Amino acid sequence: MFGEQQRFVLLLIAPAALLMLLFQVVPIVIGANASFRDWALYNPKKTWVGLDHYHAVISDPAFLYVVLPNTFIFMVVSVAGALVTGLALALLLNRPFPGQKLVQTILLVPLMVAPVVAAIMIRWIFNDQFGIANVVLEAIGLEGQPWLVQRWSAFCIILLTDIWLWTPWFTLLLLSGLQSLPKEPFEAAAIDGTSTWRVFRYLTLPMLRPVIVVCVVIRAIDAFRTFDIVWTLTGGGPGRSTELFSLYAYVLAFLNLDLGRGSAAAIIGGLIILVLGVAMYRLVDRIAKA
Amino acid sequence: MPMVTRPQFLPGLPNWSRKTFFALALTFICFAFAFPVLWLILTSLRPESGVYYVHRGTEFTLGNFKEVLSQERIVEAFINSAVISTLATIFSLLVTVSSGYMLSRFTGPASRMWFGTIYIFRCVPYISWVLPLYFVVQSWGIYDTYVGLLLPHIAVHICFFSWLMKGFFDGIDPSMEYAAMIDGCSRWGAFIRVAIPSALPAISALAVLCWLFTWNEFLFALILTGNRVPVITVVMAQFVTEMGLHWNLMAATAVMALLPAFLIALFGQKYVIQGLRI
Amino acid sequence: MQGMARWAIAAAAAMTITTAQAQVKELRIGYQPSPIQDASIAMFEAWGAKNGVKIVKVPNSYGVYVEKMTASLTSNSDQYDVIWHNDDWGQTWAHLLEPTDDVDANKFAEKWGMDKIVFGNKDGKNTVVPMGQTFSVFFYRSDLVKPEEVPKTLEQLVTVSKKLQADGKVKFGYVGGMSMNHSWFSWFWSMWGNNCDVLQPFYERDNAKLAAAGWKSGMTDPCMQQTVEYWWDAINTHKIAPRGMPAYDRNEANAIFMAGDAAFTVADTLWWGQFNDPNKSKVAGKIAAARFPLGPNRTKPFGWDDIWGWAIPKSIPEERKKLAKQMLNAMMLDEEGQVKMFKATGAPPPNTQFWPKIAEQDPFMKLLKEAVLDSPDKVRGAYYFPQWPAVHKAFNDTVTKAVTGKREDIPKVLAEGAPLVSKAAQ
Repeated sequence: MFGEQQRFVLLLIAPAALLMLLFQVVPIVIGANASFRDWALYNPKKTWVGLDHYHAVISDPAFLYVVLPNTFIFMVVSVAGALVTGLALALLLNRPFPGQKLVQTILLVPLMVAPVVAAIMIRWIFNDQFGIANVVLEAIGLEGQPWLVQRWSAFCIILLTDIWLWTPWFTLLLLSGLQSLPKEPFEAAAIDGTSTWRVFRYLTLPMLRPVIVVCVVIRAIDAFRTFDIVWTLTGGGPGRSTELFSLYAYVLAFLNLDLGRGSAAAIIGGLIILVLGVAMYRLVDRIAKA
Repeated sequence: MPMVTRPQFLPGLPNWSRKTFFALALTFICFAFAFPVLWLILTSLRPESGVYYVHRGTEFTLGNFKEVLSQERIVEAFINSAVISTLATIFSLLVTVSSGYMLSRFTGPASRMWFGTIYIFRCVPYISWVLPLYFVVQSWGIYDTYVGLLLPHIAVHICFFSWLMKGFFDGIDPSMEYAAMIDGCSRWGAFIRVAIPSALPAISALAVLCWLFTWNEFLFALILTGNRVPVITVVMAQFVTEMGLHWNLMAATAVMALLPAFLIALFGQKYVIQGLRI
Repeated sequence: MQGMARWAIAAAAAMTITTAQAQVKELRIGYQPSPIQDASIAMFEAWGAKNGVKIVKVPNSYGVYVEKMTASLTSNSDQYDVIWHNDDWGQTWAHLLEPTDDVDANKFAEKWGMDKIVFGNKDGKNTVVPMGQTFSVFFYRSDLVKPEEVPKTLEQLVTVSKKLQADGKVKFGYVGGMSMNHSWFSWFWSMWGNNCDVLQPFYERDNAKLAAAGWKSGMTDPCMQQTVEYWWDAINTHKIAPRGMPAYDRNEANAIFMAGDAAFTVADTLWWGQFNDPNKSKVAGKIAAARFPLGPNRTKPFGWDDIWGWAIPKSIPEERKKLAKQMLNAMMLDEEGQVKMFKATGAPPPNTQFWPKIAEQDPFMKLLKEAVLDSPDKVRGAYYFPQWPAVHKAFNDTVTKAVTGKREDIPKVLAEGAPLVSKAAQ
């Protein structure tokens, strides 16, 4: 009986495990191996250097004081922003109104377009000369801004883009969660004349807790490694003021062609989010329970 | 028994102004969400001299689409992208449904270890493995082939989808499966005949999302394909050249790529919302 | 349909050749689609058709070209027989490429661009066959500015721009790319024109000499401060350039120039064709080019000149190397194809023997020849050691930070950036 169950369990995960081994584990191990070696892409000497690359990354002030704080700010604001927007939209779509289906389809638009193309479009929209954002501002008598040369406006555009891109995903999961909630407690609350806010705070939110926890943790991990839209929108600039951790690793591995150092940076980031993810899971779970 | 009414939106306001406010807010939200894509569509209709200053001038043309469609590679890329997205969706679901089921129904060291593995590999940034992946795929001789593009695309979804699938199965009462097993069904029988059918809404939800993700995926396609298997995102990336960006052609291609994604989202959203319950 | 028909004919032709020669000969070209490379490959194809060699074109995406090609070269894979090569990564790849000194027609190549500092391997052998000369020039609007009024100094660039703007002729005097990997189109030319450079000694490209100087950067030299202050003033005080310019890549800068919103820009000569194409540009036919305006530290005009080229991976079989060299040799001698290339792109073709003839017929080539190609004062557009991208990024990050900050902080920001630039080089 035990042997049969074990065989069943292993067979269930065997295809997934095999694919993961071949296309994730093996490359990641190669990358990890490179992080301990002198492994320039153009001249892979592959001599062992121990923790040199790790030391170089951790002792780089730019990594510690610019890249990591940026990454954390980005992660928190982007996830919180998409969660709040997504939740609001899910609550909105959960009530019937004329055109509900149309609105729902339009809100899914960000899922349909390749993120890189969307990012290029948004970069042009915020160009200070031909971007429509400034054209509109100037038309209503405000001064146009050079959005991408100021640190905080550039950061805000990155965040807005990321929130725009991921809100549909939250909306879908939360709307789905909302529609699967049992009807009875809400009917009881309506009979009691409970206020909208109290229904939301004491009924909806606690019941959505499991969905929110999973959404937030999964999204936070992804937000931590966000790369393509930031690379397209600002390239980490102006200066290095909007550089995120994945850009830092990318520049090392792909621009400087230093696979060893780039892998070390990527692994450090991976470890941080690994620990953070567990902590976040516990924290969000506890907050949602309270 | 009194009529059950939903709590009202902004209860302090009179009915008509509430409705107007609601409609205005909705219009604004929809506009804001659709704007970058609307602007992209407008861009794709401008002649090349007007693709940046979209607001300046009123000439519109289908020339960009004509030029894009005259390239045989693009048509080929659309077919490839569709095939790869569809196959990746089917295979991703095949392997993750069973893996998620395992995570949900069994506790114990094997299950904990598998979940731990999934979690750890979900945390590894793409940057650290696309380049080694290129070496691996090349050394196995599947670089720039369907298989070489398809398998990593399946692998990349394993962590995420297994995790979601676990959530779905957690929400399905296992007693039906136990009943089936008592009635003489094997474990496989219970899984395939009882668990999977009850998870169908979730599976179709993931199918829609998986298809969209793969259709729009950039980085893998860029690294893992050369010339023989052009996919739509790579063809788009090739409009970025040493001579600058062919933005008009890129916009036109992106708008065409939007169409299948739009149809999938339009007809698939019902299943997604019904099924995406974790 | 036409494409299909052409393909079918080509396939049929290939089949006949196959039967005739009993063996398919083919060469695979790894490249990046652009007018100059397309024109060069057209010459390969002409040669291939004559000699029964099938030319297989394998386009690569620009964004990851160097990364993927480097990975391909080091893993000894057999994917390409001929690849696009560029001075920027001349030294990064030198040890991975087949020496090309035995390509006879290389003797007609321009000597400056083919220098061993750029493309030579450890044994002093060259590893490139040129595709064409690539460099930028100073473009101006000939409908707004007469040739004699074209600014010769950076200061005049401000006064002329201000006048044009005051007269309502144009929105901005100057626009040019400035963000990372587009430093050439504003930062580099203005820096070189002010007797300044990224590393010291200025204009030095010999790695041994740069190392002997301790990879000292030019960031703290007064000339660099002047250059950054110049752009700070141009953007904020004189307002002759858009405020968003420090974040522009060349696409944005060229878009603004082609829309007629700027009187001056710096771009690759390759853009000559685009700027003058009425389908792409609102200022077609109103463009001329000139030498770079100079800063206060320099009086002698200079030209900046580099080449793009083709290279052969070391790891491919001998007989294919031989075939590839024959093809490249034929390309170097293909006068008709090279004239076509110049007409299509505005890039001077690889064989210097054809230059005088083209210059006789084409005023743009005449200008390029006088101002750049025949100029004794040339600057190289990059550095030639593998850490160059890191140095370039450290440089660009520093000057961008300086130009987008407060004016009085410029010396401080440059001083902070100096050790980062030096460190990146080592």
